Amino acid sequence: MRRLNTIDDFIELRRRILSEKEIQYDHPTLVICAGTGGQASGSNDIIRIIKRYILEHGLQEKIGFRITGCQGFCEMDPFILVQPGRQLYPQLKMEDVPRVIEAALGGYVEEELIYKDPKEQKKFFTQNDIPFFQKQTRTILGNNEKIDPIRILDYIENGGYAALQQVFQKLEPNWIISEVLKSGLRGRGGAGFPTGKKWELAGAVGKKGEPKYVVCNADEGDPGAYMDRSLLEGNPHAIIEGMLIAGIAIGATQGYIYVRSEYPLAIKHSLIAIRQAQDLGLLGNNIFGSGIDFNIDIVRGAGAFVCGEETALIKSVEGFMGEPRQRPPYPIEKGIGGHPTCINNVETLANIPVIIERGADEYAKVGVPGNTGTKIFSLVGKIKNTGLVEVPLGIKISDVVYDIGGGSVGEAKIKAIQTGGPSGGCIPASMFDLPIDYDSLSKAGSIMGSGGLIVMDENTCMVDVAKYFMNFLKDESCGKCFTCRKGTQRMWEILDDITAGRGTLEQLDLLEELAHVVKDTTMCGLGQSASNPVLSTLRYFREEYIEHIVNKRCPAGVCKDLVGAPCQTTCPLGTEAWRYVAHIARGEYEEAYRVIRDANPFPSVCARVCNHPCEEKCRAGTSGGQPVAIRALKRFITDRIDPSIYKPIRNVIANDNSARIAIVGAGPAGLTCAHYLSLNGYKATIFDSEKKPGGMMFTAIPGYRLPREVIEKEIESLIDDNITIKSNHILGKDITIDGLFQDGYKAVFLALGAHKSKRLEIEGEDVEGVYPSIQFLHSFNVSGRKLGKGMVGVIGGGNSAVDAARVALRQEDVANVTVFYRRSRSEMPAFEEEIEAAIQEGVNLETLITPLRVLATHGRLTGLECQRNRLGEPDASGRRRPVPIPGSEFIVPLDTLVVAISEGSDIDSIAVASSMKIDTDSRNSTVKVNPNTLCTNRSGVFAGGDLVTGPNTIVDAIAAGKRAAVMIDRYIRGVELKQPPKITLPMVFVQPAEVPEDMEQSSRIEVPRAMVQWRRRGFAEVEMSLTINEATREACRCLRCDLDFTRPKEQERKQVEIRG
Amino acid sequence: MVNININGVNLSVEEGTTLLEAAQFLGFPIPTLCHMEGLSPYGACRLCVVEIGEGPKARLVTSCTSRVEEGLRIRTASSRVMKARKMILELLLASCPQSKVIQDLASKFEVRRQRFRQEHEDCILCGLCVRMCEEQMMAKAIGFRGRGEKRSIGTPFDIRSEQCRLCGGCMYVCPACQLRCTYTEPDKAICGGCANIYPPCVEKEQFDDMMCYMDPCVACEIIKKIEIK
Repeated sequence: MRRLNTIDDFIELRRRILSEKEIQYDHPTLVICAGTGGQASGSNDIIRIIKRYILEHGLQEKIGFRITGCQGFCEMDPFILVQPGRQLYPQLKMEDVPRVIEAALGGYVEEELIYKDPKEQKKFFTQNDIPFFQKQTRTILGNNEKIDPIRILDYIENGGYAALQQVFQKLEPNWIISEVLKSGLRGRGGAGFPTGKKWELAGAVGKKGEPKYVVCNADEGDPGAYMDRSLLEGNPHAIIEGMLIAGIAIGATQGYIYVRSEYPLAIKHSLIAIRQAQDLGLLGNNIFGSGIDFNIDIVRGAGAFVCGEETALIKSVEGFMGEPRQRPPYPIEKGIGGHPTCINNVETLANIPVIIERGADEYAKVGVPGNTGTKIFSLVGKIKNTGLVEVPLGIKISDVVYDIGGGSVGEAKIKAIQTGGPSGGCIPASMFDLPIDYDSLSKAGSIMGSGGLIVMDENTCMVDVAKYFMNFLKDESCGKCFTCRKGTQRMWEILDDITAGRGTLEQLDLLEELAHVVKDTTMCGLGQSASNPVLSTLRYFREEYIEHIVNKRCPAGVCKDLVGAPCQTTCPLGTEAWRYVAHIARGEYEEAYRVIRDANPFPSVCARVCNHPCEEKCRAGTSGGQPVAIRALKRFITDRIDPSIYKPIRNVIANDNSARIAIVGAGPAGLTCAHYLSLNGYKATIFDSEKKPGGMMFTAIPGYRLPREVIEKEIESLIDDNITIKSNHILGKDITIDGLFQDGYKAVFLALGAHKSKRLEIEGEDVEGVYPSIQFLHSFNVSGRKLGKGMVGVIGGGNSAVDAARVALRQEDVANVTVFYRRSRSEMPAFEEEIEAAIQEGVNLETLITPLRVLATHGRLTGLECQRNRLGEPDASGRRRPVPIPGSEFIVPLDTLVVAISEGSDIDSIAVASSMKIDTDSRNSTVKVNPNTLCTNRSGVFAGGDLVTGPNTIVDAIAAGKRAAVMIDRYIRGVELKQPPKITLPMVFVQPAEVPEDMEQSSRIEVPRAMVQWRRRGFAEVEMSLTINEATREACRCLRCDLDFTRPKEQERKQVEIRG
Repeated sequence: MVNININGVNLSVEEGTTLLEAAQFLGFPIPTLCHMEGLSPYGACRLCVVEIGEGPKARLVTSCTSRVEEGLRIRTASSRVMKARKMILELLLASCPQSKVIQDLASKFEVRRQRFRQEHEDCILCGLCVRMCEEQMMAKAIGFRGRGEKRSIGTPFDIRSEQCRLCGGCMYVCPACQLRCTYTEPDKAICGGCANIYPPCVEKEQFDDMMCYMDPCVACEIIKKIEIK
């Protein structure tokens, strides 16, 4: 191309390019994202296919094709955007490409491939409607999709170098500086120094004739941040234009782009762009005959994080070791070679052409005062829509995380967000109302940084996060300042101790003290912010640190040395799930049963109704896939194996005095306690108010989930000569605690459960036809009374609401059943599989509805007045709040209403307990105990289960019973009750089964269910057992976390021999 | 002349004076490990931090590398300074407990405990030797290598430098390792400490971990055995 000698030549060139553009665009264009992220996801293959297809079918004249840099929606790479309709076809496979091309040519939409919401499967026909893009303001990033980065004409065609044209037409450096000042642009590298101010200073310093430099800082080293790279890769001319304008503004003649060698594509595209600009006469000597010289060179950094610090960067450009020096003097006065140097971040420079072209006032309208313009963030971590987002400054964190990012990727809730890379800090989800701007973030203890946003959910351990960043910093500190070099090492050391269970509370104080000193006494930005990961996690998540230190527990299930196998550690009973899953994979079913039964006296019950916390923490799930179906595997074993193969170990010798223990309540907690006491030789008597033992297992859980004979069999197997059950005994009426002690019982265990539903607290609640769910289920399960009539409504979203709905559906007099829930389905606390089964059976689900008033005539229910809600801002739990829509009230006619909003302990039993001098918590109506020993305030009286925790799961109740048995045994023997926390790690080695090749990478098994038409008629069990083949396949999916801790016997022996 | 105030005392000093020089002129003691007259200030050990500025803008700077500014108020021994200094000394003591210089300083500042895991490092990377070699001996034989944890002092690729004249200046200035290589003439030794190493320097076959840059060693004239296969 001809070199342009005057500004008029350039104006003429731009005019010609722009006028040709209109003619060109009468056919569709395929746009494909091929930045580093896109290429890694396979866009090169897609490009090859497209090219071949176009050539083979001779479509060169009919369809356009553009390869661009990163467009930001990295989660959906590789995707094709079809212009001008802007349809987005995400995550394309090679074989699908021809269909997209045909659709583009034919002018229709390929509905099967178009972008759909991952959860609700709603289709979006244009890119602009997709929620990920909707809330963004893509001033800078938006150009990437329009430009092929290696074609300067593409850039000019899209308004590129228009700002430069203005600058050359005016040629007033002061005007440029005043525009930038007025725009309020602040440095995008992280510290947020006003760019205009910097330029003003840079313009004023320096003797006449002394060289000045402009440096573009593209040393982007934060883990998880890649916006600078994407700009250099996708739109290098914008950076060149920005640098050129900066050079003219401050009177510099030489520019450097300091970019790390790890960014080969960015370097390649920048080099090409620089050469094109030189060829066109935009760079070089005497640009457009104006007498202005400006050239740009690229300096490649070796990838040291500290070289992003400006004084270290200068050293590196000069060819020395990248090591910061004391400021002042600032680089503005003494930079490269001792000459004035103006260093700006890539993104800052990319903003310059926008400011000049649109005008400073227009630019300043975006964002909030003091923090104007847009900022690009790389949104990564446990979030649905990973990618680059550009938003106006001042936007709320929650908008970015939930609206643009789409919320957490799995079931786990979002816990915190880490901003600013390793030098930044963590902000907890409760503070997501915070606007993203320089000042708010630094007040919250974090920094803006270059714009990395790492989202963390409940499966992220904050101590581990701090340790990760400290590990990065201890390697990347330049090492000059002793406190930074040694301080980061020592902080890492302490964090490592804590994550390995060796930490102490004194060390925690030392860590904090050290962190403050490191912040105080280091010289450069790296050292001064190196403590941020520690300080901010300590500030917001100190309890997690304490949990690691005191209870030797990692709540997120991350820290290996504390967690071992997460399934085992998470199980309240400590069931070695990994072990029986491994046995199933090997076909050793009896062995598997023994493992299950060893930890759990109710294996068949738990195999059906356990809330399986093990699956929630299963590493196969938390690492991005689906968890192993542990509960279904347990069911497989318990259905297959005769329980009589298990012979519990009886420890009778230790206690031949066989003290008598009284247990009140024959639910899972009471029965478990009795069982373990009996194994130790004690005589236990269980008093229960019902006719049959079983507690909530009988009264609350319907038979189609948990068949009656399963409970009966399991209870029967536990009862032995040491256990007596006395039915129809009510505490406070038939027995008293004092009376029990008088009768010679040595200790009392209270496990009465929680049997009262909370009230709705709305008008007209106390009419005939309105039942609490507990009562509704109890009268059916125990006495077979069918309370459901006609049109049934159920209020609530938990498991008992779904249970009540499904039970009602099975009663003859019921016409239809509707569940009303105030939030949306994804927020319902009930198990997803239960909700799904209920809907299959014909239960109507009405979400986003709040009941207002119960309507009745003659004291009999006739209907319910409700109001519709919409989802508002997320609350502290990360769930969106329901916001009532005024004027949306409506009336539902009903004959029966079941209220299932929450359960409390039976007020009567609390009153009884307190009348017997037991401390109670009247607000939650629970009994107060020491959580470690289960002791109440009365000596010899223990309490556990729902009575203490409020409504809770069966597995927790069993765990309480187990613990109570241990504590009562200690109490009788006169041993100290307290149990120090200990780490449970896998101990037994199970040889891994050989996984057949066709089983690798299979997905989670769907638990088989009975046919719907059969289900509705009766109470036969809905969920079915797995087949041998299915179970083996599922068991082979286990990642075997235990193998980190165990090894085969031979190897152990060998180790001993070596040591010996 | 620039007017400053150190610990409440007004003082007028020449432009370009460092805070350390000004404080020392008034007799306020500021501990240093990496500072030495005749060598350019470096700011590695951070012991010489002083507090400047007021209110929320108050901050710590190293007095050896900061220059005076008009109206600057300096506090050389505020509680913030002392807290930082003590922590730095504790860190030094944890890494380099055998250095007499560090022991003395720790004792002077009443650092009575050491809460980190004990290490025995030979070098605190203060860079005195590097500057001595470059600025006084005009040799530039040794320098820093690596970064972060892996930072160390030595010659490029550990090859003996042709610039090194075995002057011993590097050892003379070292606050951590001056005990080295004086074993054969303990009475002339700077501290005689190397006799306390077990096994003593002379009996040791591998010298790699002794951090002696000279070959042969100036003091003890032992030639490093280079294993040739």
